Amino acid sequence: MTGSGTHTSFTRRGFLRENAMGLGMVALASILQEENLLGVPRNVKLGPQKFDLTAKQPHQEPRAKAMISLFQHGGPAHMDLFDPKPELTRLNGKTYDGDIGFSFIKRATKVLKGTPFKFHKHGESGIEMSELIPYMGSIADDMCLIRSMHTGHNGHEVSIRYMNAGIAGVTGRPALGSWITYALGSESQNLPAYMVLTDPGGHPVDSTHNWSNGWMPSIYQGTVLRPKEPRILNLDAPEHLRGDVQASNLGFLGKLNRRHAEKHPGEHELEARIASYELAARMQDAAREALDISKETEATHKLYGIDQDATREYGTRCLIARRLVERGVRFVQLFHAGQPWDNHNSLHTSLPSACRKTDKPSAALVKDLKQRGMLDEVLVHWGGEIGRLPVVEGDPNTGGRDHNGQGFSTWLAGGGIKPGITYGNSDEVGHRAAENIVKPNDYQATVFKLFGIDHKDLFYLHNGQEQKLTVNADAQVVEDIIA
Amino acid sequence: MNSRHYCALMTLLLGVFSHAHADEPLTFEKHIRPIFRAHCFDCHGAEKEVKGELDLRLVRLMEKGGEIGPALVKGKPEESYFFERIVSGEMPPGSHRVPDDQIAIIRQWILEGAKTARPEPATIGSGLGISLEERSYWAFQPIQRPAMPLVTNVDQVRTPIDALLLAKMESQGLSFAPLADKATLLRRATLALTGLPPAPEELNAFLADESPEAWEKTIDRLLESPQYGERWGRHWLDVAGYADSEGSTNSDANRQWAYKYRDWVIRAIGIDMPFDQFITWQLAGDELVEPPYKNMTAQEIDKLTATGYLRMAADGTGQANNEENRNQVVIDTIKIVSTGLLGVSMGCAQCHDHRYDPISHEDYYRFRAIFEPALNPKRWKVPGNRAVSLYTDEDHAKAAEIEAQAQEKGAARNAKQKEFMDLALKAELEKVDPSLRESLETAYRTAGDKRTDEQKALLAKNPNIGNLSPGVLYQYNQGHADELKKLDGEIAALRGTKPVHEYIRALTKQVPEVDPTHLFYRGDYRQPQQEVAPGGLTVTAPADSPFEIKDNPEGSPTTGRRLQYARWLTSGRHPLVARVLVNRFWMHHFGTGIVDTPGEFGRLGSMPTQPEVLDWLSDEFMAKGWSLKHLHRVIMTSTVYLQQSKRTPEADQIDGGNQLYSHFPVKRLDAEAIRDSILAVSGKLDKASFGAPVMVGKDTSGQIIINGEVQRRSVYLQMKRTEPIALLKAFDAPAMEINCTKRENSTVATQSLMLMNSDFILRSADFFASRLNQEAQGKVDSSVTNGIELVLPDNGLNNANPWSFGYGMVGEAPEGEIAKVTFTHYPFFGDNTWKGGEKIPDDKLGFSFLNPTGGHTASVEMSPIRRWTAPVSGKIRIQGKLHHPSDNGDGVRLTLYSSRTGQVGQWSAKTGNADYDVTFEVEAGDTIDAIVDRVENHTSDSFSNTYSITLLESDMSLAWESAKEFHGPLDQSGYELNATIAEQIAYGWYLAYGRPPTREEVQLSIEFIEQQVQLLIASKNESPFEQAMTNYCQALLTSNQFLYME
Repeated sequence: MTGSGTHTSFTRRGFLRENAMGLGMVALASILQEENLLGVPRNVKLGPQKFDLTAKQPHQEPRAKAMISLFQHGGPAHMDLFDPKPELTRLNGKTYDGDIGFSFIKRATKVLKGTPFKFHKHGESGIEMSELIPYMGSIADDMCLIRSMHTGHNGHEVSIRYMNAGIAGVTGRPALGSWITYALGSESQNLPAYMVLTDPGGHPVDSTHNWSNGWMPSIYQGTVLRPKEPRILNLDAPEHLRGDVQASNLGFLGKLNRRHAEKHPGEHELEARIASYELAARMQDAAREALDISKETEATHKLYGIDQDATREYGTRCLIARRLVERGVRFVQLFHAGQPWDNHNSLHTSLPSACRKTDKPSAALVKDLKQRGMLDEVLVHWGGEIGRLPVVEGDPNTGGRDHNGQGFSTWLAGGGIKPGITYGNSDEVGHRAAENIVKPNDYQATVFKLFGIDHKDLFYLHNGQEQKLTVNADAQVVEDIIA
Repeated sequence: MNSRHYCALMTLLLGVFSHAHADEPLTFEKHIRPIFRAHCFDCHGAEKEVKGELDLRLVRLMEKGGEIGPALVKGKPEESYFFERIVSGEMPPGSHRVPDDQIAIIRQWILEGAKTARPEPATIGSGLGISLEERSYWAFQPIQRPAMPLVTNVDQVRTPIDALLLAKMESQGLSFAPLADKATLLRRATLALTGLPPAPEELNAFLADESPEAWEKTIDRLLESPQYGERWGRHWLDVAGYADSEGSTNSDANRQWAYKYRDWVIRAIGIDMPFDQFITWQLAGDELVEPPYKNMTAQEIDKLTATGYLRMAADGTGQANNEENRNQVVIDTIKIVSTGLLGVSMGCAQCHDHRYDPISHEDYYRFRAIFEPALNPKRWKVPGNRAVSLYTDEDHAKAAEIEAQAQEKGAARNAKQKEFMDLALKAELEKVDPSLRESLETAYRTAGDKRTDEQKALLAKNPNIGNLSPGVLYQYNQGHADELKKLDGEIAALRGTKPVHEYIRALTKQVPEVDPTHLFYRGDYRQPQQEVAPGGLTVTAPADSPFEIKDNPEGSPTTGRRLQYARWLTSGRHPLVARVLVNRFWMHHFGTGIVDTPGEFGRLGSMPTQPEVLDWLSDEFMAKGWSLKHLHRVIMTSTVYLQQSKRTPEADQIDGGNQLYSHFPVKRLDAEAIRDSILAVSGKLDKASFGAPVMVGKDTSGQIIINGEVQRRSVYLQMKRTEPIALLKAFDAPAMEINCTKRENSTVATQSLMLMNSDFILRSADFFASRLNQEAQGKVDSSVTNGIELVLPDNGLNNANPWSFGYGMVGEAPEGEIAKVTFTHYPFFGDNTWKGGEKIPDDKLGFSFLNPTGGHTASVEMSPIRRWTAPVSGKIRIQGKLHHPSDNGDGVRLTLYSSRTGQVGQWSAKTGNADYDVTFEVEAGDTIDAIVDRVENHTSDSFSNTYSITLLESDMSLAWESAKEFHGPLDQSGYELNATIAEQIAYGWYLAYGRPPTREEVQLSIEFIEQQVQLLIASKNESPFEQAMTNYCQALLTSNQFLYME
């Protein structure tokens, strides 16, 4: 991943030449022309498109090589976790005089509710976080806490799709992980480039759209690592066919395929399919090895909370996520079942419960990556699609908070992110993002930048039309949070 | 979408602004206008109001300039205000820049005097108009039959397209590849036209037919098969965006009647409905039928069904019927029509004038106006309310008649029920104290809410009366209840004879009023602007005879807009429709289109590689009555189709991308062809045609699979947008976000895993193997199989599992010979026990039985015997423990007995254990029996006896456990060989690959099966032979030779 501009051009030209049969010399000439004129390599695919997962050079020197996204479905209540609002506390019980968009009209109130939880300063950076997330507090100096996220839409799915696939509410588009693997391919020869770790409780809200490849080839779809056996669908043969028997089967298949390919010299696709069988066979072993956390030390198990009931499951998945990126997986995303952060009711109990599950493992992931020297190159994301309203929903004591896409918090760590800072602010009661607003397309552009991708130049031709992840014309990289 | 960045890049790559023609003078129309279209005209020309009063559409208007003064000074770029603004990066506003090379062109143009190609008009209307240069783009030119070129190698010319292709090839020193052999051609054609591989009989017949017409006859046979309509109907369904669900939201509700459209498409393609009619019906079938769509003829129903095409877009209005969702349906429908029929992505023009093609913002809304009378967001019907009933008056009358009969029967039945209830009540009353009878009966017959407390108490006290109701009548009199049930059944059956009420999902004009269509500012439906009249894309009609629509021609009941438009599209004069259709037909035969972007013929798409071939075929298509079957015959009898699929290094140097067609391409089968072919070959394909879709569901791991065992062709499976069938999705079947004009062709490891391990493939291979055993005998020319036999250790084949369970004793033998054991299998297995019958003691075998860990003795000749048949030769060690738990009886005795050497050892146990450990030699096939007998009597003779057998001094580390490997009856079915292994191998090859194997290939395969059988025996597979054949079949089904056509 250290290619200079020249090196980059060279490999791309080599790639084009080798695939000239597919691309045609026109495209090659055009790209050469473009490079000569502009001197900026672009990650373009033109004409008859060939798709593969070989590692590709980004536009610029990358900071991040891999990303782990801990997606927090439902809308974590930022004013109770990440965004202290003394003014809201002062106005507790008063009527809010601003406009509010509610999702649950019947239980809606305009009564402001200060957080019932205490905030503390953490680390040298002194970032304030709630008592509910002490472990995240302990990594304050490694994170950049964004307090000005904004989707503008209160609905879950609408905002999830915005965060994942670039346009509010629209399905059928490729997710962030698909884009990254499309642009950069895989560093691993034995594992899928884009892996999704789902919750034993079931799929998240919006289900498989969360890791859809949309109109990109299925090669860019997130491979689901299921929380129970079979962990990867179709990974293993049935018991009675494993081992020598399957090896012999594949040997025979390989023999048939080679004899066939020899009759068709120059048909690269036949070779590619032979290679894909070989990869599949390697994946069987590699995936099993990557999932086997028994080799990890007791200290590591403890760090992730795998020794405790509340954190065992999420901690295990966080640890697996680290093992996957360690083995070259490009993009890993963890999901919850349903949406644990959708605390419409009983905020005082449901919110701490969601925190108990995620706080320790999430922080452990950052600590673990750091102590292994991996944090510099692995970007960690923690956040959901929306936040919650400063007013109470339902009863002031036993109620909760309604959806709020106008402002919420998210944190990033590693992969070239400036550590120990906060970025942006919400208004005085935490209702709307007010300063240095970060919209999903800005977030995505920034992630791309960390990977060395210029978001304006990464596109995919779909039905002859260019498609990008960051569709808003004003999408921009949040340069201030990049180290 | 947006993206100026992309647009800017595209202009570069399109080569529009190349410096290559240095001697050609730069002109405004040819070189500058496209740059302005991409970067400037949005604000300075396209709309009535121009920013800063600067209009860039004409050179003289630039010279005149705007608010700031003149914008252009000929010959002096540095003094030209607009140029300075572009160079400084102030224009265009925002972050995007005019690329440097384009700036250089503008500069050069100004330096050269800012020339125009021709004198500029004295006046100019609003909008960008269409320049001559834009109009001269290839795709907008009329379709013209090209002149035939001269070629040298005339023998290779079978059709005009051959001549056109060969002329180009010869100019590069190439020619067509040699002809492919007959077997290859048959597989190629059969897969192409039916999506299934040829059957061996079909190949035999074709090979045997040496007549000159053999190939034409084969093509005709395939074109007439029902599978042809299914195959090519499926291609059209991609373009139409067919789905059996509404999409748009997660709930993705089912579209119950969408399949009627699917069936119509399959039928229409099957009968070769001329495409002009095929298109007209889909766009305007309803305008060809007199409302009110009742008592329709079959043809009228077909015409309405065809309009289902305009109802295919994902539709969220069933979930949330708001204006946004309604407009989205209209937008998507426009996209389906424009990409499918016009090959133009009109999306750009939804918000502003198209930046590359001469499609104006207004064009988009003119196009929308064609559809709006029926597809009108202001008068919307949600999906549930718009189905057209196919019930005729006759159906209604018939249904009413049947209903009346049912009612009558129902009344009789109710009378009967009352009678039965009275009888039951009477019988119950007779059981109570006579003094209470009257008050009880009164209480019972009083309606529940009118009963007095006293009555309630009385009934509660007599629950047998209080609770008496028709629902529990069966408890009082089963016969009466049965009689009622029978009547109910009869009534239901009678109602079932009503004519089935079916619907179609059609587009019809619902109201007489026509709302005006407005242009939406920036594509936003909340910002309607000027009214626009219906019309097509301006550029597609000649400048001097534009296509116009008149509402309500000749007093037609509807506006007739769609019908007029369809007639224009199919008039033979439209430059795009035939080209777009023919290009896709070509793509389905050759893998890639002549234009590689079948949904985009504009500047954003690819240029045609063989424009003459495209035009010749398009013209031929229209000239021969828009017949797709005719086109198939032309293409498939051409040398370009008949040639081999082999590349040569020489040709690859010049034609690596095969754009000259110097060989036939190797192509992977698409998703449906893969699934359907696997099913066909394994003998499980249900070829039934038409009807409601086969529903899909989830398996235990959440993968989408087909519910039930019925394996219909993939086109008949439920196409749910959110639940694509795992196998089809993996092989790039479209998810139908909108529609699909070209499928991806991916090669990924997940596909391989699916082919290695998925339940579908394993089961299919299993079926394939049984089919081979049943059918292979005599199917293949014996010269490839004669004398090739499976060589296996003689024991293994029939005794894969070494354990068997029976009873008997050591028999008598003459002096010096080893006595044989009289071994008979137990006749019965139950409760995990081998025994004489269901019950113990059994009439014949008494208490004799065996279970996993032990058993019970009986009389000596019925002693339980656990038999192990050695699958290998070598030294074995047997270690075990005999245990007799009871305090009573005289204990038990174990004899270990080898069929080769006789008694190995004998141990007894009484109320305790006997451990044993012996080592001895066996040869494969020897039986080693563990016989437990009663000593003197068999009371209290329960025992346990567990032991292990280990192979010693061998490379193979093998061990067996008597308790763990205990088993019930093995499935021996299908074990019998109905054909030799070599025959099965050869026939499998034949079925999968469409040709018999060579002797060498049979030999190769049989070696694999030998290896497999041995491995499977070693891994203690219960049916190693069948499994080996199954694995062979799986290899065939997942090999490239099967997955690709050549």
